Amino acid sequence: MKPKRFLWVSVFVLVLFGLLSAGYREAGAAVRLVYMTAGDVNMLALGQNVLGPAFSKKYPDVSLMTVHTGPGDAGSRLIFEKLSAEAESKKESWDVDVAMVHQMFMKWADGKDLLLNYTKGIDTSKYVTSPFAKTSLGVSVEGFVMPMFHSQTALAYNPDYVKDPPKTYAELVDWVKKNPRKFGYNGIKGGMSGVAFTVGWIYWKTGKYEKYAITGPFDKAEAATWEQAYKDLGEFNKLVTITGGNVGTLDALNRGEIWMGPVWVDMFFTFMNDGKLDPKTRMVLPEPGMPGQPMFFVIPKKAGHAEEAKKFVEFVTSPEIQAKEIVMRFNWYPGIDGSHLKGAIPPETFNKIYKDVTPADLAKKGRAFPLGEYFGAMLESYEKWIK
Amino acid sequence: MCLMYGYPFLSSIVRSFINSQGEFSFENYSKTVDLYLKDIVFTLAVTVVSTAVSAALAILLSVYLRLRQSPVSRLLTGLYKVPIFIPFVVVAQMMNTFLAPHGLLNLSLTKLGMIDLEYPLQLFNFYGLTFGFIWKMIPFSVLIIHGGFQMIDNSYIEAARSCGAGLMRVITRVLIPMNRPSILVALVLVYSQIVGTFTLPYMLIGGKIPTTITVDIAHRINYFRDFGVANALGVFSYLLVLLTAIYYLRSSVKKMAGAQDGEG
Repeated sequence: MKPKRFLWVSVFVLVLFGLLSAGYREAGAAVRLVYMTAGDVNMLALGQNVLGPAFSKKYPDVSLMTVHTGPGDAGSRLIFEKLSAEAESKKESWDVDVAMVHQMFMKWADGKDLLLNYTKGIDTSKYVTSPFAKTSLGVSVEGFVMPMFHSQTALAYNPDYVKDPPKTYAELVDWVKKNPRKFGYNGIKGGMSGVAFTVGWIYWKTGKYEKYAITGPFDKAEAATWEQAYKDLGEFNKLVTITGGNVGTLDALNRGEIWMGPVWVDMFFTFMNDGKLDPKTRMVLPEPGMPGQPMFFVIPKKAGHAEEAKKFVEFVTSPEIQAKEIVMRFNWYPGIDGSHLKGAIPPETFNKIYKDVTPADLAKKGRAFPLGEYFGAMLESYEKWIK
Repeated sequence: MCLMYGYPFLSSIVRSFINSQGEFSFENYSKTVDLYLKDIVFTLAVTVVSTAVSAALAILLSVYLRLRQSPVSRLLTGLYKVPIFIPFVVVAQMMNTFLAPHGLLNLSLTKLGMIDLEYPLQLFNFYGLTFGFIWKMIPFSVLIIHGGFQMIDNSYIEAARSCGAGLMRVITRVLIPMNRPSILVALVLVYSQIVGTFTLPYMLIGGKIPTTITVDIAHRINYFRDFGVANALGVFSYLLVLLTAIYYLRSSVKKMAGAQDGEG
């Protein structure tokens, strides 16, 4: 290409690009809300494809930009680091307007003055009854968080073979002795449903749920007292099937290889809705309980658009969105009290999700995961004692 | 090269000696040996058995393809390459449904009356994992080994035959010795690939004890953000690979020296 021609083409491209981007800004919303979310890729899809468009429909002058940081506590860690960096930069207005984080985030952020105390200012906070919204992993979080949803683990079972499912961990141990290899879980390296089952086992054996998950403090000597609990679990493992992951447990249930196993409730319903799990499969939440976890909305202390962020949280925690998107689309338990959804979702859906694991079960037997250091110690003890 | 490969490699070794307080120590190694020694031994066992069996079967198949010219062998020549292009994650899902207690294999054996489905073959363990690796690695080995066999001129085989050598003798005294370099290359590449594979063991035996080094590395990082022990585990996998890498390098250096001597 000749130099002159090249110059003209460049100018043309630049002008076109400028016009297009100006047009885009013109057509776009006045406020761009930056929403940072941890969690699996479905959280990104939820923000980009569902919450963003629905929110902009209601508030046309606000658009949502979803930034995804990745699954697990590691994803929340990135959000924590971003907010810490913003705080250190002494900027007046921070980039992130609203974030979706795991419980562990609140532990890290405790005492760091990173978050806005905002829930009193939004209307839907009156629907929140979850104890996780008051204290979480031993940290007082009231006022700083609104739960978007709660995911819970429970034991799924095939009623064709299990007429009278065990209602406690102790009954489960007896059941497994009578039905060797028919209980399956995925150990601790194959996904969180197996981890949750193991954590529940330690809560049961030690009876120290409060100390390990709520009050603390971390005491290294506790781990030494778990030897027998893990050796018992090792004996238990000899009579069960170790499956290939969260999905592996559901697949094994569906193929009839196992008759019972721990699952995430939302995955359970998603599999059922997709026709990958026999619809007659049921669930039970055994005593003294199994862990679940909420995901929280937090608003950074100096969020650039704090008012719009509050509106966004209010929107997502409204009974309509909770019913339509959180419960019916993603099969999670709602972040707000389930009783407020009664009118908003068809009774059959309501009855389906709360049939086996009732709101009362959730309140009584829905446990939290342990505090970070206990959690690490429990996982490592599993590797140490179970050979 | 230095920036993209050398630096991360050296830094992972250095960091395996740094504990969570940032000091030099052997803490990561003592924890690795304490918790994961059985997994290291398991990884070595799976790798050695899978490599040996897939190489042996690949040699047999390559010999067949080299010596037999029939419609069947031509069809096989076209087909055997397919698994090379199937990603490990797909192989893992396939093995999951094939080897499961109520999977295709056990159901077929039950239909044939060979097993009772109440007591199916349990294959989510050493055997199943080895089977998965062998299935995936044979075609890759054949690609390399068969290529080597193709380079051997027919006159060598005919000469051996005319001197009265049977099929076995032709294979063991002519074909394999003449094709030694490409067989070694196949062994080394298959071995190192298996040591480093994560998806297949994770999806097949992720929660089991013992499991492979790669699953342990993922576990240390996902649940503990513990790069120290993860790096120490990584160093053990380097050591496993190093055994063959040294052998490979020595034989190629020898070959180069031989070639130069030949020229001189």
